[in-house]
Amino acid sequence: MPKEFARRLLAHEVASARPAEANDSTAFHVCEKLRPSLSKYLGVDGFRSVLARALARAGAEIPWMRVLHIKADGSLEGLGELKRKLDSSSVAEGEIALVEQLLELLVIFIGRALTLELLHDIWPRFDGQKFLKEAEHYEEK
Amino acid sequence: MKRNKIRARKSSKIIGRTNKVRIRKLPTGVRGLDDIVGGGLPEFSFNIIAGAPGCGKTTLAHQIMFANATPQKPGLYFTILGEPAIKILRYQQQYSFFDLAKVGKAIRFINLSELVLENDVGGVLEEIAREVQASNSSLVVMDSFHSMVRKAFGAGRETDLQSFIQRLAVLLTSLEATTFLVGEYAEGEMRDNPIFTVADGLFWLSQNVERNSVVRKLQVMKLRGQGSVPGLHTVRITEDGLQAFPRTLGMDGQKARPLRRRRLSIGISELDNMMGGGLLEGDSVLISGPSGTGKSAMAAHFLAAGLRCGEAAIAAIFEERPRSYMARARTFGLDLQTPQKKGTFEILHQHPLDISVDETMQEILDAVKRLNAKRLVIDSLVGFEMTLAPGFREDFRESLYRMMAALTGAGVTVLTTIEIEDTFTAMPASQYTISFLTDDIIRLRYVEIDGQLRRVMVVIKMRRSSHSKDIREYLVTGEGVVVIGPRHTDYAGLTTGIPERIRHLQQKAPEPK
Repeated sequence: MPKEFARRLLAHEVASARPAEANDSTAFHVCEKLRPSLSKYLGVDGFRSVLARALARAGAEIPWMRVLHIKADGSLEGLGELKRKLDSSSVAEGEIALVEQLLELLVIFIGRALTLELLHDIWPRFDGQKFLKEAEHYEEK
Repeated sequence: MKRNKIRARKSSKIIGRTNKVRIRKLPTGVRGLDDIVGGGLPEFSFNIIAGAPGCGKTTLAHQIMFANATPQKPGLYFTILGEPAIKILRYQQQYSFFDLAKVGKAIRFINLSELVLENDVGGVLEEIAREVQASNSSLVVMDSFHSMVRKAFGAGRETDLQSFIQRLAVLLTSLEATTFLVGEYAEGEMRDNPIFTVADGLFWLSQNVERNSVVRKLQVMKLRGQGSVPGLHTVRITEDGLQAFPRTLGMDGQKARPLRRRRLSIGISELDNMMGGGLLEGDSVLISGPSGTGKSAMAAHFLAAGLRCGEAAIAAIFEERPRSYMARARTFGLDLQTPQKKGTFEILHQHPLDISVDETMQEILDAVKRLNAKRLVIDSLVGFEMTLAPGFREDFRESLYRMMAALTGAGVTVLTTIEIEDTFTAMPASQYTISFLTDDIIRLRYVEIDGQLRRVMVVIKMRRSSHSKDIREYLVTGEGVVVIGPRHTDYAGLTTGIPERIRHLQQKAPEPK
């Protein structure tokens, strides 16, 4: 899944966020929305494992992400706090990396079609399929 | 009065129709399995898919699910302490039946492992009930049920287990769901296990490793309310998932052969005469003889004779390659290529060493149905047996019998060749005891005459027909013309291969009657 895809998904989430969530981390919201669906498939422990792996992969790219934790219920901890300490572009970069890695893992495990299907169920107005087709079209050019 | 009688008859018909519950049958989605289970799986039944690891239990459950689940009547796949859903999705989507569009809409995966780990079986029942009701599901799979039972009901809790199974069965049936519990059970566990008592259907999968091949089998050990085909059925897992090969070979209900049967030419006029005017339509003929006696040449004549009359034909060859088979027929002046192009002739070539006899037979039967073939050649039985995995060789004779019976019963004339070693003391027809499955036997052999190794043939047997008893000499020339000479009345002991000249021929031997 390309980085741009994660960026678009986060932007879509920002646009559809409720005012009360405006100051929260967008990546946190994305992970929170994925959590119930993925926990149904994988169980809470399974979701935690996948998210932990995504975090480790993102941490290899952006070291400050290593301080984040995943709670027993699979929710992400510490992103809001970091948001207050770091500049907004660094936070945005980290959030994109985390979502990118999480989606990348899903594609590795269950394939692109099922991952897109899953995203469509959570974000029905986010047309991931269309974006990927466009991206491939430009790549071919 | 008359009207009352009619009304009474009508009402009794209606009562007759409504008295018995009609159980709808669900397709299994597995080729061949519907035939085995008697038309399909009973709706709302409570079933177990059991067997050792790697037999295809999860794949079978998926095939059933994908064949039946719709967005209106979805299926729920509960994963419990077995293969996690992420892995199931990863591997099962490799099969052709896995329709990605159904996932999430018609089929939903739910992980119950945590509930089970918390030892909360009551919670498990509640969660299942809640999910089934909320989604209006008609199909439920629990995988692995055995792991759940082991975790939740350790030793000494048999009564609790029995009560749980009972409640689960009642719950899911009353929610109008057809249920499949998938579990790794050993055959010994079947005794005294309440799961097997409560279940309406029990499908047992097994696999045996023999030398370098794996033989998978399926057995319907129990199926309430309908007849199923008993015994072990071969199963193969391919990119299409499971495929079952019913022991009936799917030939039940086939059109029976006509009562008045035609005489068919074998393609060699003298041999037709020896056979009382030709083969009887729907017969199985065995041509046996040692290497180089012209068995395959005769089979090619048999095929070409049928094709010339507009009868579609199949050649299942196990020793030669199709190209050389066609080339040899061409040198004999037999045109198999034109019918092949027209689609009335097909060569099936089998050479792997790990297939099952039922698979090969299914392929032959499929081709016969596809072409509406009237003639079939199996060249040769020895080659056929060699292609089979060792574990299947035991079943060879029985399976062959079933196929022959099915094909000839449907009016297909089958010519089989078999290579045998000539002994100089006896003249056996084949090394298998298979004469019971052939109507007619033609035996070819070498004999030593006048310092030459010559070839003779004799029609040993023809069911329901008179035939010549003569031992006739023949030649297979470069043009493929099989010339049959008159019988040798001046020799004795031709069947031993080393005949003795008893007198010099004074006159030409009479032709066969």
